[in-house]
Amino acid sequence: MQVRAGLAVAAVIAALATVVAGCGGGGSTTSGGTGSSSGGRQGGTATVLMGTAPDYLDPQLTYTSQGFEPTWISYTGLLTYQHANGTAGGVLIPGLATALPTISADGKTYALTLRRGLVYSDGRAVRAGDFAYSIERAIKLNWGGKSFFTNYIAGASAYDTGRAGSISGITTDDASGRITIRLTQAYGAFSNVLGFPAAALVPTGTPMKNLTTSPPPGVGAYMITSSTPNRGFTLQRNPRFARLGIPNIPTGHLDTVQVKIVSNTQSEAQQVLSNQADVFDPGDTLPPSLLPQIQSQARDRFAREPIPSTFYFFMNTTKAPFDNPAARQAVNYAIDRSAMERLASGFLKPGCFFLPEGIVGHPTSTCPYGESPNLARARQLVRSAGLAGTPVTVWGEQRSPRREYVDYYTDLLNKIGFRATEKIIADTVYFPTIGNAKTDPQTGFADWIQDFPNPSDFYLLMDARSIQPTNNENFSKVNDPRIQRELIRLNPVPATRLDTVAGDWRALDEYTARQAYVVVYGSESMPKFFSTRLNFGAAVFNPTYLNDWSTFQLK
Amino acid sequence: MATVDSTVRAGAPVAPGADVGPPAPAGVGPYRLGLRRLRRNKAALAFGLLFLVIVVLCLCAPIYANDVAHTGPNANHVTDTVKVGGVTKDVVGPTGEPIGPTWQGRFFLGADQNGRDIAVRLLYGGRNSLEVGAIATLITMTLATLVGIVAGFFRGFVDGVLARILDLIWAYPVVLLGIALGTSLALGGISLGPLHLQGNSLLVPALIIGVVYIPYVAKPIRGQVLGLREQEFVDAARVGGAGPLRIMWSEILPNVSSTIVVFVPLMVANAILLEAALSYLGAGVQPLNPSWGTMISDGIRLIPSAMHLTFVPGIMLVLAVLGINVFGDGVRDALDPRAKVRLEEHAEEASR
Repeated sequence: MQVRAGLAVAAVIAALATVVAGCGGGGSTTSGGTGSSSGGRQGGTATVLMGTAPDYLDPQLTYTSQGFEPTWISYTGLLTYQHANGTAGGVLIPGLATALPTISADGKTYALTLRRGLVYSDGRAVRAGDFAYSIERAIKLNWGGKSFFTNYIAGASAYDTGRAGSISGITTDDASGRITIRLTQAYGAFSNVLGFPAAALVPTGTPMKNLTTSPPPGVGAYMITSSTPNRGFTLQRNPRFARLGIPNIPTGHLDTVQVKIVSNTQSEAQQVLSNQADVFDPGDTLPPSLLPQIQSQARDRFAREPIPSTFYFFMNTTKAPFDNPAARQAVNYAIDRSAMERLASGFLKPGCFFLPEGIVGHPTSTCPYGESPNLARARQLVRSAGLAGTPVTVWGEQRSPRREYVDYYTDLLNKIGFRATEKIIADTVYFPTIGNAKTDPQTGFADWIQDFPNPSDFYLLMDARSIQPTNNENFSKVNDPRIQRELIRLNPVPATRLDTVAGDWRALDEYTARQAYVVVYGSESMPKFFSTRLNFGAAVFNPTYLNDWSTFQLK
Repeated sequence: MATVDSTVRAGAPVAPGADVGPPAPAGVGPYRLGLRRLRRNKAALAFGLLFLVIVVLCLCAPIYANDVAHTGPNANHVTDTVKVGGVTKDVVGPTGEPIGPTWQGRFFLGADQNGRDIAVRLLYGGRNSLEVGAIATLITMTLATLVGIVAGFFRGFVDGVLARILDLIWAYPVVLLGIALGTSLALGGISLGPLHLQGNSLLVPALIIGVVYIPYVAKPIRGQVLGLREQEFVDAARVGGAGPLRIMWSEILPNVSSTIVVFVPLMVANAILLEAALSYLGAGVQPLNPSWGTMISDGIRLIPSAMHLTFVPGIMLVLAVLGINVFGDGVRDALDPRAKVRLEEHAEEASR
């Protein structure tokens, strides 16, 4: 997701969660605990402000954090994530399925059973066949992550290209509620794929078109009752959901969540600070100018929530000067990660490894090119490689602090001997532009925020198979035989057994850092910032889906 | 009614309908006379001097950067410290807040979010803004004069084609057209045959601004030429065997020169303002190049805690534009006291 990267972390933890959930209903808690609908004040309305509108409010289309926040609680899939803070929030639990999937020994067949008596928010009964229809709908609508389906589910690719009228790899039985999914190859994180809102169920027959202005019915604590693109939308509590009695999924406290789009984040933060609105969207950046005020006046309703993410500059290994390892090493020697932390107003935890903290395989060793910057060494490397004066174009986004990161990086490249200039483009077209083969950028900003807690989600960006003419995510164009070998071996390991290969992932990540394919500078935190009206402590901040609105309650 | 005859030549700007004012003393040319009038306009001179001071300061940016601030306009100092009154301070604080004015050599006006010296960037930014303004004005005046004279002189088909092209440009609000062109060209630059301009070149916004303002100058000139071409001195030149090019160069151009001179400072002011607006919106001067517009844009999100980031370039922008505008008015009053009235008349004619 764009807050896009990495829903992957959730997969690893999901694996662990599987065990926990399987053992006792998934009610595990970590610091901060899980959200629960028991206790607290019921009813009322809260106003959430968003600086960036959701891309879609259709579960089979949305792929941004702003879209996931409302759809996660309005469209429950067969599997979902525990409504909990921290790493526990990455634990997969059964949603509409009775239990976590039974996976065949070869890892290619997933079997689940639908709970009985489920109904959508409009009262229609949920049928097992709706699952197949929902996956087909996500493919037909070209959901941004549809390759998770088309690459792995048997027959999904044929359906996508029109060679088949349905997905042969999904079989369902409405009478028994049995759902069987056959994969073309084992994919350890497939359980996490089933946790995406895009895999959530909508009724068979739901139009195969973008329904953002009139979202379809779903099974969830809330339902989206009105929506005006780029203006706002409203969620109301789904009265039918509480009666379903699905364990470990909160039924909600608030009657209504009113979401307003406020393009000016300064105004957004001011309104929450002065209690004119209730929630600042964590996908937005808190203006540094207001931070001191917020930290002093709103200390008890503001927190920095770390999320498994990797912020880095990619370096195109197929183009000069970064086809030369010396150039890439020089940049890794030169970068000052504490400077990046300041540019992020403290919302960045410095780091040098591609797998961030919270993801299985995150190395704890020292950075291969040093913890502090070594400009002299970097300059010497550039000079001795004969690369001094090489022109470099740095690509970046307009929004803060990403623009500041790129300004710093460009200056750094100039300091170590390159001749760097910038190309700053609009945020909305940035990733499609740099991911287009015609652009073929030399270097620039990139980030990945977990899609699910699994290292394979992050290593999608280092996988040579990800290099595509459009929507390329392997911006450095890394094609390393050792990485490819390891990915083929490690990717099929089921999320539940990730801990058995943690050392392998760690070794791979340390190797990647030594190769200096990218220059990683840290992992981002996001602001959890409420008005005084809301119960701050009771509200869950999920590492994958951010603010959990179903745990919001008025004081 | 002004007297216009075939003896009028370059350096003697007169146009139909213009009142040349009191008769010039014998032996004093119109430009010298204009200069005398300008000297008497103390306000115009004061503002002209202000603009000149700003220009000189901006031209001295490298000297200030090297010898006083000891840093360049794009050099980041995020984790550096600076001693202010014996106290060591972070240039950029742990939560990203930049240092304010130190009133000493380093970070005299403070730093921005990336720890760059505001004073240095202000001067370099001014240099870029003025450079874009000057080049844009040069482009506008050259092309507008050419188009205005050719269209007005030849009339008929040529005038029809050129006038419609001008109408086409005029139909778009200047800022919107500038944003559209600036945004698209900032990415790929401009390629015209062997000429290639990178997207981040200062010539790109200069070219855009220069082009979008052409109708605003060309139309009044065309209107003026439509009148001039019917005058006896043009007929006399034609009878004397002069071809169209020679007539336009020797007879028409000198007679529209006062209009051109009057337009120059006003166009510089407009070009600087438009550059600032486009840069503020990300469609003008591209990073890393600073300009007053980009500096205002960069600083706007820190207004509550570091308002100097926005106000300092804003004030410089106001002073520069005010200076050249008031001076431009003075030049107009001195060279051609009725120019404003006349231009309005011609603008009306042109639009009819």
